[in-house]
Amino acid sequence: MYVDSAKNQHSNNLRWILPYCRPDAGRIAAALVLFAGDKVLVMLMPILAGMIVDQVIGQGHEDRLPKLCFAMIAVTLGRSICRYGYQMFMERFGQNTIYRLVSDEYEKLHDMDFTYFNHTRNGDIMSRMTSDTDAIRHFVSWVSYNILDAVCLFAGSLAVMFTIEWRLALALLAVTPFLFYFTWQLSKHAHPLFYAIRNSLASLNSMVEENIEGNRVVKAFVREPYETEKFDQHNDDYMQRNMDSARNSRTYMPWLDGCSYMLQLITLILGGWLVICQQMTLGALVSFNSFLWMIDGPVRQSGWLINDVERFNASCVKIRRLLTAEPRIVERKNAQAGVVQAATVRAKVNGEQTEDPVRIRGDIRFDHVSFAFPDDPETPILKDIDFHVAAGTRLGILGETGSGKSTLVSLVARFYDPTVGHVLIDGIDARQWPLDLLRRQVNIVAQDTFLFSDTIGDNIAFGAQRDDEQYVRTMASMAGADSFISRMPEGYDTVVGERGVGLSGGQKQRLSLARALADDPAILIMDDTTSAVDMETEATIQRHLQEMEGTRTMVTIAHRISSIKDSDLILVLDHGRIVERGSHEDLVHAHGRYYRIYRKQLGLQSGQSAGF
Amino acid sequence: MKQQKQRSTGTARRNTFREDEDLEEQIDFGDIKRIGAYLKPYLRQGVIILAAVLSMSAIAVAIPYMTKTMIDTVIPSKDPVRLFALGAVFLLAIVVYELLLRYRTVAITQVGQLMLKDMRRDLFTHIQTLPFSYFDSRPHGKILIRVVNYVNTLSDTLSSGLINVIADIFTFLLTLVVMFVIDWRLTLWSLVLMPLLVLYVLVLQRFQRRAYQRLSNKQSNLNAYIHESIAGVKTTQTFVREREQFHTFQEQQGQVRSAWMRAVHIQYLMWPGVQNISTITIALIYYLGITGLGGVQVTTGMLIAFVGYANNFWNPIINIGNFYNQLITCSAYLERIFETLDVRPEIEDRPGAIELPPVKGRVDFNDVVFKYEPGGRNILNLVDFHVPAGSTVALVGPTGAGKTTIVNLLSRFYDVTEGSVCVDGHDVRDVTLASLRRQMGVMLQDTFIFTGNVRENIRYGRLDATDQQIEEAAKAVHAHEFIMELPDGYDTKVEERGSTLSAGQRQLIAFARVLLADPRILILDEATSSIDTRTEEALQAGLAHLLKGRTSFVIAHRLSTIENADQIFYIDHGQIVEHGTHQELLAKKGAYYRLHESQYAMIRTANGDQAQSAQPGDDAGQDNQVRQDSAVSAQ
Repeated sequence: MYVDSAKNQHSNNLRWILPYCRPDAGRIAAALVLFAGDKVLVMLMPILAGMIVDQVIGQGHEDRLPKLCFAMIAVTLGRSICRYGYQMFMERFGQNTIYRLVSDEYEKLHDMDFTYFNHTRNGDIMSRMTSDTDAIRHFVSWVSYNILDAVCLFAGSLAVMFTIEWRLALALLAVTPFLFYFTWQLSKHAHPLFYAIRNSLASLNSMVEENIEGNRVVKAFVREPYETEKFDQHNDDYMQRNMDSARNSRTYMPWLDGCSYMLQLITLILGGWLVICQQMTLGALVSFNSFLWMIDGPVRQSGWLINDVERFNASCVKIRRLLTAEPRIVERKNAQAGVVQAATVRAKVNGEQTEDPVRIRGDIRFDHVSFAFPDDPETPILKDIDFHVAAGTRLGILGETGSGKSTLVSLVARFYDPTVGHVLIDGIDARQWPLDLLRRQVNIVAQDTFLFSDTIGDNIAFGAQRDDEQYVRTMASMAGADSFISRMPEGYDTVVGERGVGLSGGQKQRLSLARALADDPAILIMDDTTSAVDMETEATIQRHLQEMEGTRTMVTIAHRISSIKDSDLILVLDHGRIVERGSHEDLVHAHGRYYRIYRKQLGLQSGQSAGF
Repeated sequence: MKQQKQRSTGTARRNTFREDEDLEEQIDFGDIKRIGAYLKPYLRQGVIILAAVLSMSAIAVAIPYMTKTMIDTVIPSKDPVRLFALGAVFLLAIVVYELLLRYRTVAITQVGQLMLKDMRRDLFTHIQTLPFSYFDSRPHGKILIRVVNYVNTLSDTLSSGLINVIADIFTFLLTLVVMFVIDWRLTLWSLVLMPLLVLYVLVLQRFQRRAYQRLSNKQSNLNAYIHESIAGVKTTQTFVREREQFHTFQEQQGQVRSAWMRAVHIQYLMWPGVQNISTITIALIYYLGITGLGGVQVTTGMLIAFVGYANNFWNPIINIGNFYNQLITCSAYLERIFETLDVRPEIEDRPGAIELPPVKGRVDFNDVVFKYEPGGRNILNLVDFHVPAGSTVALVGPTGAGKTTIVNLLSRFYDVTEGSVCVDGHDVRDVTLASLRRQMGVMLQDTFIFTGNVRENIRYGRLDATDQQIEEAAKAVHAHEFIMELPDGYDTKVEERGSTLSAGQRQLIAFARVLLADPRILILDEATSSIDTRTEEALQAGLAHLLKGRTSFVIAHRLSTIENADQIFYIDHGQIVEHGTHQELLAKKGAYYRLHESQYAMIRTANGDQAQSAQPGDDAGQDNQVRQDSAVSAQ
């Protein structure tokens, strides 16, 4: 993280963004110098023009004309350099700022736990990392100096005007409260509107994202018109939110714009009156008037700048919400040292050699674990789960749909923390382990296979980080994937789509199994990994897994008895409770639920099924 | 729409976040013309806005004139009445101007937003017609960014930009006329550097365009990567690859940053160019005006006025230049948008395609050959079968043998290369896609759950279904039980992709969805792989009557689900190797028999004997139990 998200949590958006800008302080300073240079040169232009009128035309010094003309060109050239310079500095600064900001968002995202992702839509996160950060970039690298520009010009010109004719300038100053009032009102009302625009955009994003992801289902049900209708609602809402903001601008912008014309009118009428009353010379009025155009721009721009500021504010709120989200799963302090110590003590107690504490042996113990999702404590998912799996043995889990199997295994890799009880890995509470260390050696082959849009080879080597073709091939064949990969025209170099679309369910499952095997975990958890794989291939996979027995702890969740019957311990789960446990033989002898399922599968196999 | 280029979908190589997409070299004015098509429906409003904007520029030109009159004549005349009279006119002009501004602020946003909305809608509806292959062959983030972000970047250019530029051109011409009236020679002199400016802009444009193409490519890559990172975050955490992913992310981000810097380095050169040429011109005017060189004869007052106008004259040019700048920036995005719109769906209704009348469900595959691309491998090789209405066909065989392809051809997600697929004697290519697919219920391997609640997700199968029908469908597939256990039953909120449900629960919901659609032809592609044995068995019992009268195709690896099919096709290497009923195929002792044996053997190995020995004693009790189970669940 570039900036600790706990810092400046309650300060305003400007204060909050500051630490992200700070590393570019040098650039900002340079930009300020050039900016000041530009402003000075801008002031020179009317003076030069005045000199031409006074000295050349008025006093007839025609010899000075070429020099003055060149001076004008030189000043413009100088301005060009200054302006281009500070613009580049500011752009670079803006880019650097969002580089740091988006990097922090990205890191934060990867710190978040499953609970967060279960409840946050991808399109929403996506828009926080793209369009919201763009609003911030626009603010820091453009709006910022334009505001400065406006304020400088306004204050500077007014100051000069005071020196020319203070009464007239005072009259102009009287317009300022109105200016403040209108900008304040505009900004106050714009704030919620821009926030609504951001939200509407995020939900439009999410809707389109979901439509793209679910395109197969949409097509299968011919729901294109329905989807379009849904889209129209979001699309229209987004437009309406933009219109709301335009209506707000309509209320206040003309007043702000009118203020700038009022300045001119006041100058002319009051100035004219003063001239008529001989309180002021005509020449003074002319030069006073020539400074008006400098005020004109800032005043007229103020409304637009205010809108940009509010756009920035709205985006800040969204980004800050992401950055300050608290992950529920956090590594405890000094986890590494704690685990090393624990391993040493354990070795001493057991009279063993001090082993490498970084390598997990694979002993899993659930100590009366109950679990409910933090956001739904009313519905316990796991109830008093208590079992022990020795390192290097196999655990099989059988249970009905929704009985809590997947949740149970995700506690092992500490994707959730148990609500009651403890999960012990090698005798040490999972909460004590450094997250990296634990997860690196506990690999869950999830039910939902996700493959990156990359080559098959790179997908398999994802965790292993080994650029070893032979290794990848070996792992693929262990997962029963080598044969179909080799049959593809580009073999291991075939690029698969996001979520592995383009592959069949069984193929995806085998690839993700290969990927997990390549990672060489101490605890390998297969969550219904072979459900879509044909039986012959599964037999092959089972054989390969058997060969690995003893080298790692393997947990298998399956519906097919064939996938788990070789396990040392089989748990039968029902509504989050272990209802039966034992080896295949024990459970068959017990004539309970497991036995019934076994009989059914066996019976169905031999042609006694009642269905289709 | 004559400008459309043919862009193919399926044959394109897959694109990842690492690769840039190809782009055209030259700026395509056809693309810009096509924006015009979006403006067309709002032309009337556009004209009114333009009238307002032109009136505003007229006032904006008149006000300095009033100021000048005030200073030059009214004040020196020392007549307070005239002073206040002109002041009143001035005030009136301001009021009119601000009223017009009030109108313009909303009207311009409205037209702009309407155009964007139309464009976004066109993109979205178009994407709906694109085949799977389009989605499969590129990162989804790249598609997403086109529909939402790219269209948004056009926002300013389309709304305020276009109309302002017309106003600027108007101001420019108006000023030019006034200048010609004051002194035509001096005016010609002030235009002398114009060609230089045009040349400058043109040269700049070339580089700028390329820089922006590059930038849009890099942004697209970064977006794709962010999108994929979000979608795959659980995988990343499982493999503890956060650091590596972060590294790649920063690399991508760095590329965007340098592409951005390169683009603005060029883009921001525009202002200095225009400004310097403008100053040189003004200096020239002073010089010529004062020295009288070049045949210029002007009075001092005229000269000062002229310089004032010359300033006025460059402002619109700067604005026009900026607009052109924007247009170039946008063209990189526009190109992407139109490119997407130009992708022709491979599967489209044939001209004169008829509505498929309600079918009985007879399916014929006549010597079907299929390959994804010409010259490619035959995925299906002379598949020929005829299924009478109402029968159940099971497709078995190794992964990648072509089972899914067969059912995809039936719903016409792809077109056959040779031969034909007929439903009730209608070639699927002769009927409209909607009428064909509406009569098919496809349950895919990937079950997709939409954000919303359980009820809405089931209702996706038939939008006008009543709550009761939804519950009936859920009961039929035995999803009802688990749904009732959820915190809010059918109203339980489900998140994107059903992340809070188990895979089996998602399959059950998807199952209910298909049943609710009440299709004539039912396709179950590994529909029950994640459903536990008890539910599956109950499901099958309940489904038996629902399958009656429907033609159904079942792909399954678990043979238990397919043994009662009327016909079983064993597919291998894109051909039907064996077909017949379960008994016939077993008797044949061919591929199916071997498959069956190996499965049976897998369960029975090691402990099989014990199971066998345990069987006789409990048979009666066990079977009773089974029957009870199914009876209860079938209700």
